[in-house]
Amino acid sequence: MTVQRAAFAGLAILGLAACSTTTPAPDSMPVTVTFALTANGKPARCGEPLGPLGSGGTPATLHDARFYVEDVALIDAAGQAVPLALERNDWQTASVALLDFEDGTGGCAGGTRATNATVTGSVPAGRYAGLSFTVGVPPALNHSSTEKAAPPLDIAAMGWSWQAGRKFMKVEVDPNGGVAKSAGAKARTWYVHLGSNGCTGNPADGESVSCTNANRLPVTVAAFDPATQAVALDLSSLFDGSALGRDRGGAVGCMSGPTDPECGPVFRQLGLSLESGRPVTPGTSPAFVVVAKPVAKP
Amino acid sequence: MTGRFRRILAAGVAVLGLGAAAPVLAADWTWSLPGHVPEPRVPADNPMSAAKVELGRRLFYDTRLSGNGTVACASCHIQAKAFTDGRALSPGSTGGLTHRNAQPLANSAWNATYTWANPALVSLERQMEVPLFGDDPVEMGVTDANRAEILGRLRADPAYPPMFRQSFPEEAEPLSMAAVIKAIAAFQRSIVSVDSRYDRYLQGKASLSEAETRGMTLFFGERAECHHCHGSFNFNDQVVHARSREVETPFHNTGLYNLDRAGAYPFPNRGLFEFTARPEDMGAFRAPSLRNVAVTAPYMHDGSIATLAAVINAYSDGGRAVRSGPQKGDGRLNPHKSGLISRIGLTPQEKRDLLAFLGALTDETLLTDPRWSDPWQALR
Repeated sequence: MTVQRAAFAGLAILGLAACSTTTPAPDSMPVTVTFALTANGKPARCGEPLGPLGSGGTPATLHDARFYVEDVALIDAAGQAVPLALERNDWQTASVALLDFEDGTGGCAGGTRATNATVTGSVPAGRYAGLSFTVGVPPALNHSSTEKAAPPLDIAAMGWSWQAGRKFMKVEVDPNGGVAKSAGAKARTWYVHLGSNGCTGNPADGESVSCTNANRLPVTVAAFDPATQAVALDLSSLFDGSALGRDRGGAVGCMSGPTDPECGPVFRQLGLSLESGRPVTPGTSPAFVVVAKPVAKP
Repeated sequence: MTGRFRRILAAGVAVLGLGAAAPVLAADWTWSLPGHVPEPRVPADNPMSAAKVELGRRLFYDTRLSGNGTVACASCHIQAKAFTDGRALSPGSTGGLTHRNAQPLANSAWNATYTWANPALVSLERQMEVPLFGDDPVEMGVTDANRAEILGRLRADPAYPPMFRQSFPEEAEPLSMAAVIKAIAAFQRSIVSVDSRYDRYLQGKASLSEAETRGMTLFFGERAECHHCHGSFNFNDQVVHARSREVETPFHNTGLYNLDRAGAYPFPNRGLFEFTARPEDMGAFRAPSLRNVAVTAPYMHDGSIATLAAVINAYSDGGRAVRSGPQKGDGRLNPHKSGLISRIGLTPQEKRDLLAFLGALTDETLLTDPRWSDPWQALR
């Protein structure tokens, strides 16, 4: 019995040791940044009407809503961005996190059940004024295979195989009445797929990929209190100026195609130049707004 | 028998046992290639082995690999048709059609880029993610929701787990989708077509007919100019091999469409333009290998030309005029057309000669060799 007890004690110590790698050091403090998905001033969820969206005020339901963020940082009183040391779990690696607002129910059938609305990590203890993050996946990780990468980069739905990379943002809605295409056909879903494009692999080494249009979206919130506030991707703002009931060419909706007529308004609302793939005004994205932190679900 | 001898024997058996399951070294794979064909480049993290190729062959022909269990890679890549499917566009597992024509797979190990026009895809492993996971259109229909179930189907077949272990002994979990991809890629690399009558002619083992010889002269000559885009040992112009230092990846507009008199091709088949949005890349596609071209009808990126004779006509005319319908337009006048495509005005005799030469590129070994055939049929 003595031996057994000793073994248990050993396990307990090991367990603690494992936990301590994610426990902030004494001079750092834990931070949880909460994100949200909203439409018409309310949380947007699968299976609930989103209300009217876009230039036509088209009623729609949610089909998918996920995006990756990198370079998450709090901004200190001096205006310096202090990187969040990310906790490591199935939603985030040391450098990138996945926000997931679809739960596979209702119109989101085919998605994943689990959702995630937070980025967790730590910063040196102190007072902070704001928040910054970038919608995207770091170039060094973007072109990894979903079948080889660690979570959360292993999600096949976020893969963008034709660019040998990933969708940074996948937001899809089903407008009531469908989407009328230019050729007379109808589509069910209006897609927003944001990712690096114009990508070229190096055939000499058979792998390394570089892209002309990064399409990474830096967002800065000058005044942000993680305790009481959340950053919302607001569908009403994202689709402002987009006519969701029709598609005039290219992919249905906007899949970051530089000549897709639907990408003009979407990229304007994201704050990206469709032509260059760079932010119009770095840090500024009309599609993201600050909201009150939702009350935690029981 | 002494005890000691028995022990040594037992040790010997154990070593042999280990040997069977130990990493199958690349050394167990040899490329049997004629002198005019360089060895292909093989990714460092996916060396060839006989075991892996055989595993890949099983998977290539296995419908359990699609989400709903209805299609396999082989559904669109049929050996007797040089691994094409005889259709203009191919139905995926949920009924939707592909955007483009199923490509032949022979000698794809030497491709610098994959699919009809995609500079981002430079390995078979990455290319395979398109048919496996693509959702526009759905081909194999593998998703986050069914991926574990699909791997479970493979695990439940007693034949598979030992083959995965033997092929990927270094992996803690050898049966994964990453391993599926690697094994199928290895099988695809093994599909080598270098035994056409033309290859045998180059080796002095066969002769070409008079018509074929005249066709060959035209093909490699400066009037027909076929060789500019189809001049490599693989009869294309994007080749990478084991000793390549720099690799060019040209794409060409061959004057098939001209929707708006400004050179437009129909979406979503605008070639390199879909990636670059540069006007000059409108309608620019990769020149496919012409090996086995006589058995891979219909032709072009969208399967829009039914016969090889009609393809030769289009090139003789310097492009194709679509006379009616939504795709009406004179491709011959496409402003982005390659400078290598101009009206040649081949005589009927010359066209027949070219056709004859292209027929000499058919490799009967490729079309019939059991190495690349359906293993499940053989097991039934």
